[in-house]
Amino acid sequence: MITLTNASRWYGQVIGLNDVTCEIQPGLTALLGMNGAGKSTMLRLITGQIRPTTGSVLIQGQEPFANPEVYKHLGYCPEIDNFYENMTGRQFVQYLARLAGFSATQAKALTIEMLQRVGMADRADKRIKGYSKGMRQRIKLAQAMIHSPEIILLDEPLNGLDPVGRREYIDLLHDLALEGKTIVVSSHILYEVESMTKSILLLHRGRLLATGDLRVIRGLIDKYPHRVRVETDDPRRAAQLLSPLPNVVSLRFDPTGDAIELEVRDPDAFYQALGNFVLDENLPVSAFSSPDNNLESVFQYLVHS
Amino acid sequence: MEGFLYFSSLKEFLRPGRLLPWIVLAFAAMALGVAWKHLDPNASQAEQYSNVAFILVFRLLALTSAVYTTAIVSQEVEQKTIVYLLTRPVPRWKLLVFRWLASVTAVFIVGAIGAVLLSAGVYGSPSKNDLLTNDLWALFLGACAYGALFLLVSLAFNRAMIICLLFAFGWETSVPNMPGEIYYASIFSHLQSIAQHPSPAQSGPKALQLISGEMNANALSAKTSLPILLILTVVLVAISAWWFTHFEYVPREDAE
Repeated sequence: MITLTNASRWYGQVIGLNDVTCEIQPGLTALLGMNGAGKSTMLRLITGQIRPTTGSVLIQGQEPFANPEVYKHLGYCPEIDNFYENMTGRQFVQYLARLAGFSATQAKALTIEMLQRVGMADRADKRIKGYSKGMRQRIKLAQAMIHSPEIILLDEPLNGLDPVGRREYIDLLHDLALEGKTIVVSSHILYEVESMTKSILLLHRGRLLATGDLRVIRGLIDKYPHRVRVETDDPRRAAQLLSPLPNVVSLRFDPTGDAIELEVRDPDAFYQALGNFVLDENLPVSAFSSPDNNLESVFQYLVHS
Repeated sequence: MEGFLYFSSLKEFLRPGRLLPWIVLAFAAMALGVAWKHLDPNASQAEQYSNVAFILVFRLLALTSAVYTTAIVSQEVEQKTIVYLLTRPVPRWKLLVFRWLASVTAVFIVGAIGAVLLSAGVYGSPSKNDLLTNDLWALFLGACAYGALFLLVSLAFNRAMIICLLFAFGWETSVPNMPGEIYYASIFSHLQSIAQHPSPAQSGPKALQLISGEMNANALSAKTSLPILLILTVVLVAISAWWFTHFEYVPREDAE
């Protein structure tokens, strides 16, 4: 449905997207990458706001740049937080519905429907300048869905949403995916994406680093040692208990004297054992964290492997 | 769709908050018209009206046009709302042309209010001003010509407003006063020929001649100026529509 073939995009001397080839099928796909990875550039290419410097981008077989035929089938929720601030949410969505080609009556009815769907029906008549970040995200989604497009692209849509809002938003995206639509969501937060979909496109410094099932990639990463930091009042005892574990590769005392850092294989088994020590041996653990359990480490793994 | 594009843009351009400064300036023109009667009591009403019209109303036309025309695209790019417009199933040329037509209408309305209020200030009633019909026609053509020029400038250059203002107050003030026939390259000179006012400033102080662009005799006729302005408008709008369809309009600072 969405096809990129050796698509590259340069901004003068800076490369935004580098030789990306992929196909995005119906369903929910996450575009994962750190800030500056090229996610927004890729979405701008797909939405035809910009042209690829080399290669091609096709939406249902058509080039999207300034192509109204493509926009009939495409909804876009940009990352930018800019609106016509003097409009109310209802006026904004209705205005964009009119621009999508609906009559005044149709636009009005569709706006009511969409505002209900994104949970903004009761606040739609307030001016956008008074909206919270979460409300703005919902209004942006409403305008993207207003013409029932088959493809919906959302650039960092969960920014600013509270946990409940986030859950509702993700549920709505799942519903849309189940309706057979192609949903592409960009994000730089790994856990956010994990809770959303298994299908990912991983971008790093403009390159497409990996595609496919996030859990498979995660599984591969887990084969390599993970760093784990355990904060405790008794680091010597913690080291005494944890170092004999078969999956601990190395152990180091933190210079602050209230933590140890370990390298472990099979982190799930290690966390299980750590929990047992806390409960059975009264090991005083105030916190633990894994610096590797983030997007950066996924990239490092993929780049170095 | 076309009607919606035009009227929704016009509604935005004629928002009271946006219109208010221009209405204030229109009343300033009226006040200046009243004051001129006392400053130059020997001049006829037509001469008094002409002086203020060329000093203020026609100059403001270029300024109004610069402000409204840059709002069509440049302002949307700066506010980053352009993305909502460009990802709708509307041909870009249509988006541009109908928004431009709305801006021309708004600029003409602002100019017309200025001319009518000035007439009221000088003549007591606009209906007594025989020059008003020609002026409204000239203001409309001026709104089209300035609008078309500034539209292209706003599409082709960053900081278009600065360029437009330099043109409106630099080029348009100096070129009509230059020797030779270079004044043909000034929209203001063509508007003067269409308006067909008496030229009282030619015998007045140099500063007044300079501001009203009458240091040189304008040999242009309405018959020449009319097609020139119309052709200029059509050509510039066509180039703008082509430009807008073929080039990218994305807030640069957002680029990753």
